[in-house]
Amino acid sequence: MAEAARMLARLDLPGLVVVDDSDRPLAVLPCVDVLRMAVPQYCQDDPALARVIDEAAADVFAEQLGDKTLAQAMPGHLRPPVTVDGDATALEVAALMAQSTSPLVAVVDARGTVAGAITLDGLLERVFAS
Amino acid sequence: MSVLAWTSVVVFATAYGLIASEKIHRVKVALGGAVVMLLIGATDAHHAFFSEESGIDWNVIVLLVGMMLIVSVLRRTGVFEYIAIWSVKRTRGQPFRVLVVLMLVTAVASAALDNVTTVLLIAPVTFLVCERIAVPVVPYLIAEAMASNIGGTATLVGDPPNIIIASRSGLSYLDFLVHLAPIVVIVMVVFIGLSRVLFRDAFTGDPERVRSVMELDEREAIHDRRLLIIGMVVLALVTVAFALHAVVHVEPSIVAIVGGLVLLALSRLDAEDVARDVEWPTLLFFTGLFIMVGALVNTGVIGKVADLAADASQGRLAWASVGLLWGSAVLSGLVDNIPYVATMSPVVAEVIAAEGGGTAAESLWWSLALGADLGGNATAVGASANVVIIGLAEKAGHRIGFWQFTRYGLLVTAVTLAVTTPYVLLRYFVLAG
Repeated sequence: MAEAARMLARLDLPGLVVVDDSDRPLAVLPCVDVLRMAVPQYCQDDPALARVIDEAAADVFAEQLGDKTLAQAMPGHLRPPVTVDGDATALEVAALMAQSTSPLVAVVDARGTVAGAITLDGLLERVFAS
Repeated sequence: MSVLAWTSVVVFATAYGLIASEKIHRVKVALGGAVVMLLIGATDAHHAFFSEESGIDWNVIVLLVGMMLIVSVLRRTGVFEYIAIWSVKRTRGQPFRVLVVLMLVTAVASAALDNVTTVLLIAPVTFLVCERIAVPVVPYLIAEAMASNIGGTATLVGDPPNIIIASRSGLSYLDFLVHLAPIVVIVMVVFIGLSRVLFRDAFTGDPERVRSVMELDEREAIHDRRLLIIGMVVLALVTVAFALHAVVHVEPSIVAIVGGLVLLALSRLDAEDVARDVEWPTLLFFTGLFIMVGALVNTGVIGKVADLAADASQGRLAWASVGLLWGSAVLSGLVDNIPYVATMSPVVAEVIAAEGGGTAAESLWWSLALGADLGGNATAVGASANVVIIGLAEKAGHRIGFWQFTRYGLLVTAVTLAVTTPYVLLRYFVLAG
């Protein structure tokens, strides 16, 4: 879990595609979900409590991610993967992203294994910059 | 009894069983049961909607809507978090004192507001504080659910069974305070002593971390002072108006709904957003229950039961009162106490009428309230506060099993009832006679 969060931060990614042993997509993990796992539940239930915590303690809130694995951190809450196949059009991808509010779409090949991913940034660039 | 009467008993018993089993959602069961009662002719639209004896008790529904609106606005002010954290800091983080303070805050808030909201507000603070002082959170949560049920017993608006009893009996806010608050204070003291032993494993905090609660800044919890002041003023006025019922002659339901709507109007909050916090499913559950119980009244079942109860208690009121106290506790532990009290209230009203009223007969109301409210502590499903606390704990990754709660619950209920029994006997029979 902590490893995933560090990777997102270091590489400036919008999220991760989680795969199983044979590279099939299990879930999409947008950055905001990583945040949701790191923020103590009581601060999400009651935002007033996030304010009462002193700065020293607030700076290290993410420590509670600790050694938890993805599956432990968010049992049943992982988003099902948003996938397209290799010949999807930009509109198809855009529609999927808009509907699922996922900043990441996995591209799968005919065998169902992950061939790559399309990020929100990449899509916006392709659609609007041209 | 007629065939219709027996049929209505079967419908009611089936619904009660389904509510207890929790196989089907209680709202579906209550409304479904009400529909069946209407279809078999045990009640009709006129009785269900307009009868004071056998219809929906609008006083209860409107009082609940009013209080839920007030609470919905108040919880947005952060005042609850402020008070809880301020109080915890006074303990300097010493774990047992933290537990006592959290229990007291919960009990007092549960007396003024409803129990479910109170535990919804206290639980997040508890997670924060327990994490800070590095003690297991579960004992603290269990103690709070129980403190909430005990504190809620003290006032008319504290626990839904009391609201139903107030409406059926005509007893006022002050009556509840005078008759129930003294014993609730005693029970609370006993419970605090008991929790020192029950939860003794939860009081070993790390002294280094214990001091870190002092770093919390409770003033940050409040970010809208205007809303806070208006909210507290309205709550105070509503409570005063409840207490002055004998002088101002305004029903508690009207006081609550006017207070709720005035507060909503002054709050400048989005009305739709606030109204979403009103627990509409709970209100529908009440409506269905009232129609079902009303059908039992119409078909003469309640009258029959009341006659039997009146005969049985004739000349033995003290026994009846103690029996009602313990019986109510047992049944409330098994099933939600709301349907139980909704069913028992008309029975108790008739028994008291048959006795010709008086202090001794009225003690039945207090036994019913004390038994049903305190009995809610007996099991994990005995009261809504327990269910909510267990749900919140699970969401945060701390599972509280049915027996883990119930082990403590049975003991606490037995002890609190053992304290309450001499109170009822002394106050209404020995000393009154």
